[in-house]
Amino acid sequence: MDSSHRLFSFQRILAIAANTLTELTRQKVFYVLLIFALVLIGSSVFMARFSFQQEFQIMKDISLGAMSIFSSLLAIVATARLIPQDVDDRTIYTILAKAVPRFEYLLGKLLGVLLLLAISVVLMSALFIVVLYVREQTVVSETLRQMSRAPREQMDNALNAVRAAGLNIDILAGVAVIYLKACLLAALTLFVSTFATTNIFTVVVMVFVYFIGHLQSTAREYWLEQQTTGWLTRAFLALVALIFPDLQAFNLVDEIVAGVAIPLALLANTALLGIFYIGIYTLAATFVFYGKEL
Amino acid sequence: MTEEAIAVEGLTKVFHVPFHRKAIVAVRDLNLRVGPGEVYGLLGPNGSGKSTTLKIILGLVSPTHGRTKIFGRDSSLVESREAVGFLPENPYFYRFLTGEETLRFFGKLCRLTGSRLNDRVRELLELVGLTNARDQRLSTYSKGMLQRIGLAQALVNEPKLVVLDEPTAGVDPAGSRAIRNIIADLRQRGITVLLSSHLLTQVQEICDRVGILARGVLVREGHLEELIAIENRTELVLENASDALMKEIEKLAANSNAKLVERRRSTTTLERLFLDATKRNDETEMSKPEEMTKSE
Ligand SMILES: Nc1ncnc2c1ncn2[C@@H]1O[C@H](COP(=O)(O)OP(=O)(O)OP(=O)(O)O)[C@@H](O)[C@H]1O
Ligand SMILES: [Mg+2]
Repeated sequence: MDSSHRLFSFQRILAIAANTLTELTRQKVFYVLLIFALVLIGSSVFMARFSFQQEFQIMKDISLGAMSIFSSLLAIVATARLIPQDVDDRTIYTILAKAVPRFEYLLGKLLGVLLLLAISVVLMSALFIVVLYVREQTVVSETLRQMSRAPREQMDNALNAVRAAGLNIDILAGVAVIYLKACLLAALTLFVSTFATTNIFTVVVMVFVYFIGHLQSTAREYWLEQQTTGWLTRAFLALVALIFPDLQAFNLVDEIVAGVAIPLALLANTALLGIFYIGIYTLAATFVFYGKEL
Repeated sequence: MTEEAIAVEGLTKVFHVPFHRKAIVAVRDLNLRVGPGEVYGLLGPNGSGKSTTLKIILGLVSPTHGRTKIFGRDSSLVESREAVGFLPENPYFYRFLTGEETLRFFGKLCRLTGSRLNDRVRELLELVGLTNARDQRLSTYSKGMLQRIGLAQALVNEPKLVVLDEPTAGVDPAGSRAIRNIIADLRQRGITVLLSSHLLTQVQEICDRVGILARGVLVREGHLEELIAIENRTELVLENASDALMKEIEKLAANSNAKLVERRRSTTTLERLFLDATKRNDETEMSKPEEMTKSE
């Protein structure tokens, strides 16, 4: 038997992540949320149709909005109970009584949630893209029929207009950013749950964080405009920004609906910001968890 | 192999309960040594600090004062738990997993893979008599079955030290007998066992050495025979002894200055009786009794 100890074992983390994913998929909450999201996205197909531009815009707005809310909700609800549940059931004793470092346990749990979120976001966006694609094809064939006698150039213009309003690569950027936001919320929820005394507390705190996180950028701009800001205000705002992540930065829905192309630099910046937040929260969670009396 | 399996030095644990001014001293200046291959029983009434001591040894709870070591490595180090198995009291595992999945999960945590993992899981299910229940979710397991899957989980990495917190609590006599047989088998193989219990007759049968905790203090410790032997008494058990023979023995005893203190009919133990009575109905299969009481 190989008895040498590994300070870090990806196999152990994967085992915990797979177990977490199994746990979450075998809980009904996940399906309820997913079904709800699917129904909502599906229903956008039956929206009153004005012009195809408006229809596509409404569809993108509703679907991306729903995806954002559901993935965030799923991240918070699924993560909040993970550690408290293990503590209550004492399963955490059996895991940590093996040669499993505490940070591997945390990483495994987080990875499991991120996998669950990835699966749900992929499912939701796949459905959304299929629906959008089908509508786009319908509009294209309608346009072809209506303009069958129009000159070639005019028809090409019309078709290009349809395609520009429909599916494009920016949707994927929007989805990626929604996923990042959900991951960030999961990491923050995991951190809060390491010191929270009840699950309700965690969820309530996270709902607050969610709203403040969405509002804070507006508030900050207002503040910075109002006062000739001293360093104290700036320090305070920086602290607020660390505790309450700027979630508005992860919202590209407006740009996508308006059809504004999303620059790669913006996407990269947002991704870096997300990964930075996730890293900070995971470190904080690890720090608290190591001091925790089980 | 002169290394102590477990060394506890000057261990004190104080719990500060929020909104209570008085702190609870769960363990007070405890010193304990368990040699390799020994079966050590930690006894004591409820709340005497048994579980707390075991958790500190396993690094799950941090000591207020003092230190604990496993095979010479401090409990605060993760690697001290490399060759350790633990069964917590009233274990509750992931209820959404089946018995087999549970063992596979813990096997992977010990970095077992492939056929080694498969073989080990099969062996352990066999050992604790849960082969028939391996595809059942743990949410449908009875207490005794949970205890047994817990024991199997503790043995998954072929540990050199096994720590068991009340291994037979809530288990029926047949299951409890089977668990004690497994512990006896571990001793045969030279594996160190540290267990806590307040079921004294059971401890008496399996432990080499015992320590008795009371309010966090170790009040007695020693080899079992030494602790409970009554120095000046000897027992004889006879079969088919005639009255004449008994008279003869009494006379001999009286002549040699000894005194016959007690004379009684031998009885079987209630455990034996229970085991014999329940065996006839449901074979020797360990998991049978629980399966019958399972609802739906
Ligand atoms: N996390 C905790 N916080 C506060 N007090 C605790 C905690 N854990 C244990 N205690 C206290 O420490 C004392 C010892 O508890 P412990 O669980 O070690 O007893 P035990 O000997 O295992 O008892 P039992 O036979 O009932 O299992 C008890 O008074 C208990 O209330
Ligand atoms: Mg106890």
